[in-house]
Amino acid sequence: MKRLCLSVTFAVLSAAASAQEPGDAIRPITLLTQPQAAAPQEYQAAEVIADAWRKLGLTVNVRPLPGQQFNQVIWYERQRWDATTWQMVGRPERSDPDELTYNLFVSANAANGYDFVGYKNAEYDKLAQEQREELDLDKRKALIMQAQELINHDQPYGFEVHPFNVVAYNKTIWDPKSMISQAGIGIRSTWTWLNITPLGTQKDVILNSVAPPTNLNPFNISGQQGSWAAEIVWDRLMRVDPEGLPKPWAAEKVERPDATTVNVTLRKGMKWSDGQPVTIEDAVFSLVAPGYGDKAPMYKPFVGNIAGVEATGPDTLTIKLKKPDAAFLVSSLSKLNLAPKHVWQPIFDDLKNKPQTAESIMEEHPVSSGPFRIIKASLNQEIVLEANPDHWSHPKIHRWIMRIMPNVEASMGALKSGELNFLADYTGDPELLKDLAKSSPNIEVSQALDIGFKFIAYNERRPPFDNLAFRQAISAVIDRKLLAEDAWGGAAEPANSWISPALGVWHAKGIVDRVPGGNVAAAQKILKDAGFVLVGNVLHYPKGEKETTEPFH
Amino acid sequence: MRGEPFAAVGAAIYTVIVIMALFAPQLAPYDPREMLRQGRRIARYLPISSEHWLGTTAGGHDVLSQLIYGARAALEVGLTAAIAVVAIGTLLGLLAGYLGGWVDKLITRIADIALGLPFLPFMLVLAALTTPGTRVVIVTVALLLWPNTARVIRSQVLSLRERAWVEAARVTGCSTARIMFVHVLPQVLPLAALYGSVAIGWAILAEAAASFLGFGDPESISWGVMLQDAYANQALGRGAWNWFTPPGLAIVLMVLSGFLVSRGSEKLLFPKLAEQ
Amino acid sequence: MLWAVATLTFLLFRLMPGDPTLNFLSPTFTDETRTALLKSFGLDKPLWQQYLIYLGQLLRGDFGRSFLQQAPVADVLLAALPNTVILTLVSLCIAYAFGIIAGAFLAFRRGALVEATAIPAALATRAAPEFWLGMLVLALFAFQLGWFPTGGAVSPGGSLGSLGTRLTSADFWWHLCLPALTLTLFLQGLPLLLMRATMLEVMNDEFIVMARMKGLSRWSIVMRHAARNALLPVVTAFALGLGASIGGNVVIETVFAWPGIGRVLVQAVQGADYPVAQGAFIMIAFVLVIMNTVADLAYAWLDPRVSVGAHR
Repeated sequence: MKRLCLSVTFAVLSAAASAQEPGDAIRPITLLTQPQAAAPQEYQAAEVIADAWRKLGLTVNVRPLPGQQFNQVIWYERQRWDATTWQMVGRPERSDPDELTYNLFVSANAANGYDFVGYKNAEYDKLAQEQREELDLDKRKALIMQAQELINHDQPYGFEVHPFNVVAYNKTIWDPKSMISQAGIGIRSTWTWLNITPLGTQKDVILNSVAPPTNLNPFNISGQQGSWAAEIVWDRLMRVDPEGLPKPWAAEKVERPDATTVNVTLRKGMKWSDGQPVTIEDAVFSLVAPGYGDKAPMYKPFVGNIAGVEATGPDTLTIKLKKPDAAFLVSSLSKLNLAPKHVWQPIFDDLKNKPQTAESIMEEHPVSSGPFRIIKASLNQEIVLEANPDHWSHPKIHRWIMRIMPNVEASMGALKSGELNFLADYTGDPELLKDLAKSSPNIEVSQALDIGFKFIAYNERRPPFDNLAFRQAISAVIDRKLLAEDAWGGAAEPANSWISPALGVWHAKGIVDRVPGGNVAAAQKILKDAGFVLVGNVLHYPKGEKETTEPFH
Repeated sequence: MRGEPFAAVGAAIYTVIVIMALFAPQLAPYDPREMLRQGRRIARYLPISSEHWLGTTAGGHDVLSQLIYGARAALEVGLTAAIAVVAIGTLLGLLAGYLGGWVDKLITRIADIALGLPFLPFMLVLAALTTPGTRVVIVTVALLLWPNTARVIRSQVLSLRERAWVEAARVTGCSTARIMFVHVLPQVLPLAALYGSVAIGWAILAEAAASFLGFGDPESISWGVMLQDAYANQALGRGAWNWFTPPGLAIVLMVLSGFLVSRGSEKLLFPKLAEQ
Repeated sequence: MLWAVATLTFLLFRLMPGDPTLNFLSPTFTDETRTALLKSFGLDKPLWQQYLIYLGQLLRGDFGRSFLQQAPVADVLLAALPNTVILTLVSLCIAYAFGIIAGAFLAFRRGALVEATAIPAALATRAAPEFWLGMLVLALFAFQLGWFPTGGAVSPGGSLGSLGTRLTSADFWWHLCLPALTLTLFLQGLPLLLMRATMLEVMNDEFIVMARMKGLSRWSIVMRHAARNALLPVVTAFALGLGASIGGNVVIETVFAWPGIGRVLVQAVQGADYPVAQGAFIMIAFVLVIMNTVADLAYAWLDPRVSVGAHR
């Protein structure tokens, strides 16, 4: 209070001399993060960024919140927080930029959806909608580039880095040449599991997972690790290939005669694990069932655009879309699982009058048609899959075993001792893993740039984050190179877009250079030009603006 | 008390820790929260050197400075919790022992419920219910650990009640309250104090466990948080013994000194003996 | 008593500011998704209705379904409970066996040097944070020396199977070693000191003095008279310790990724999986209450003065 009076007095006295009169002092800003133990790299990055913001005259508190509370505040109390660390994870279905391009920044999602920062720009809305419906690849690319330039200008996020996926495996057990790297995922990909070749007698892949999957069910989008298993147990009509493009898989042919029609020819000779043949009715069912009421709430958005599906022959079906959808092949046909109608239709019928969803059903012996079958699913301990010998692309290994090991040190030790032969889920310090490889000659480390990214979200509902110049300034002092080198131990690349360079077709090259990084002078100039005033060491609003927002508590 | 070597050692350790806490700003070479730099880069994982006697953490903080400031958090949690436990336990033990009857039965019942709640799980749930932090640790310790104190105080009060001078006080017309608080209470205080020094230890261990599981106060610099920090950043994998060992040792020393100061600690750890 | 605990648990968890649907956040998460999820969890009903349903289910032994694991809570708990019980029992038995013998020995052989080192050492093991001990043990025996596995209860590809299978599986016991070692290290201090203290007391007792006067050797006195009488408080402590450890194993189970009740509870609390968290909490409290009762009964039954009185 005293400081406020002093600075106002000082400002009034020097009014004659200076043209810049300060408004109120900016309140202390709270930067929310997850607790250090949960995300040590993000936490450190938050500390570095808070330090940088202090150089601009802001008072910044880094405030960790435990998991549940964290999600609760960010998602349901959107008026309450200033800024937070957040991230988007890479999944094969995000090889098409549509999911993120649309959902992150479109103003319709500001109130309850994933535009939780409250970014509203009609020009962006238009671009996002257009790219969704543009089937011509070059035209669509141009739209995506434009979108990235627009976001770069508006800085709704303070982008930090695109992380690397760092994994390791025992190269005396597995042939390094049989690893297949998927764009934005790395060698921990479905293609590797289908192709990985044993060099000796060990024919089981034993890999780790840090978190237990929530369920293994074709109508449940399991967490990240659960999806590694689900992807190879249930087939889909298409799959995203190593370059990031959709290729027919359980389908022989996929054609798009016009903007709202998709014709699919089903591959012949496929069988379910209970012996029944895979029919065209199964395929139709799999595309339609997620839309049944609210019985599959997580998959429902992905069939939202389907007007109707009809079998047109013993192996063919036609999908009619409500609106043109450029990403449909990747975001839906490569995502929806093929599920047996004879098992699931009765289940859905039974659930009609019950509150439960289909997601909560755990089959005793899950029926699937993919290259692997579930033998054992003890969700908190391990998942054991067995190769399906009848599959047309049957794996070269015997079993795929995923062990749940929440302790990072333990999983590294397990790789060293041979309990694991593939370290697939490593969330620790990459330098340590590389040291391990140096001291153990049979361990090979592999890293690949991820599709995802880490960022600071600026809540535009609360000043000064609603001020464009302010956002540009606080983004300008983020030293992305330092973050990549120190906070992420070299296993990351600076970022300035939600589209990772791993998606070479869609990423706007050089976009990182179009935002200053770690540049305090540039940031100060931006603030000054916009009328913000530095009084002593404290940053004030431009003239006449009052601080009316309550600090976070 | 003076003649006991164990108690003397314990008291000495306590004194050192209190000094560390009181004079932390003077003793600590750096600000424990400051992210130190080496040029442009962060000064991470620096080994032991003349500039950093215990090296630095993964976040570029000086370990020794954090260790010294950690004494403050330790004393804060320990003392507050100990006082709470002793206050509640003594009061309830006094009431139960002196007044007897339904008061005694009621207090014993509540004590049973408190003893029926598992300590760490209760603290976890409470932390998730409110805000994780030292307050939750202190409240849990106070709510769940008072029964042991109360039991011992109660049995001592039971025997004191029959003494001649208490009878005399009653006859001369002193009110019950006066007898309890002015005459009996001072007699049981030494026993209560001994319990207090043990309770300090339990509180610190509880705080360390809470921090380790992620339910501690993430903004404080306590030894428990230091250990969690080291664990999360894989300090053991890096062989950063300079980071990981001192906070653990500090906890051991502080809790140990509490045990040493209370001679006859075995009896306090197992109050049923005192009832014989 | 148990009803009080159950109600308290229910209130605690429902009042928690957490929303299990937040575990499913994703860019395509809509209000519709959330409503459907809430409905399937039964969270859309008013609080008092949820409470009645909860009580009714408890009485039938039904703990409900996990929000996150799509399995009945009872299954989750019953899979984990034996692991905790085995770990606790094994550790307690070894700790107490060691503590009793060492404590008796220390009472027998009194000497300044022995006491000055042994007692603080025993106290120090009790004063150390369990997880810190665990990490040190893990680092030395698992990482550095590679003698033991680094976590879990079973090697990859194996399965835990039924209780019988577990108890006869060498792999299971091998995985049990390090967590049991840590817990034993932590627990032995209490019985050691307790045994020593009560032995010293008893050894000065009247009828021991009488036995000495009868000319019996010191060792036989110790074993036949003093030890038996000193065991009473130790046995009671064992029962109490069992109850307390079931809940306190949370930390050990986390460090060693041991699939026990404690770890289930922590994960459930972190993920706002109310049914599992409630179920785990109640189960732990239940065991604690039972063991407290057992301790009281054992004490009354074994108290020598009670039996002496009977003889008179």
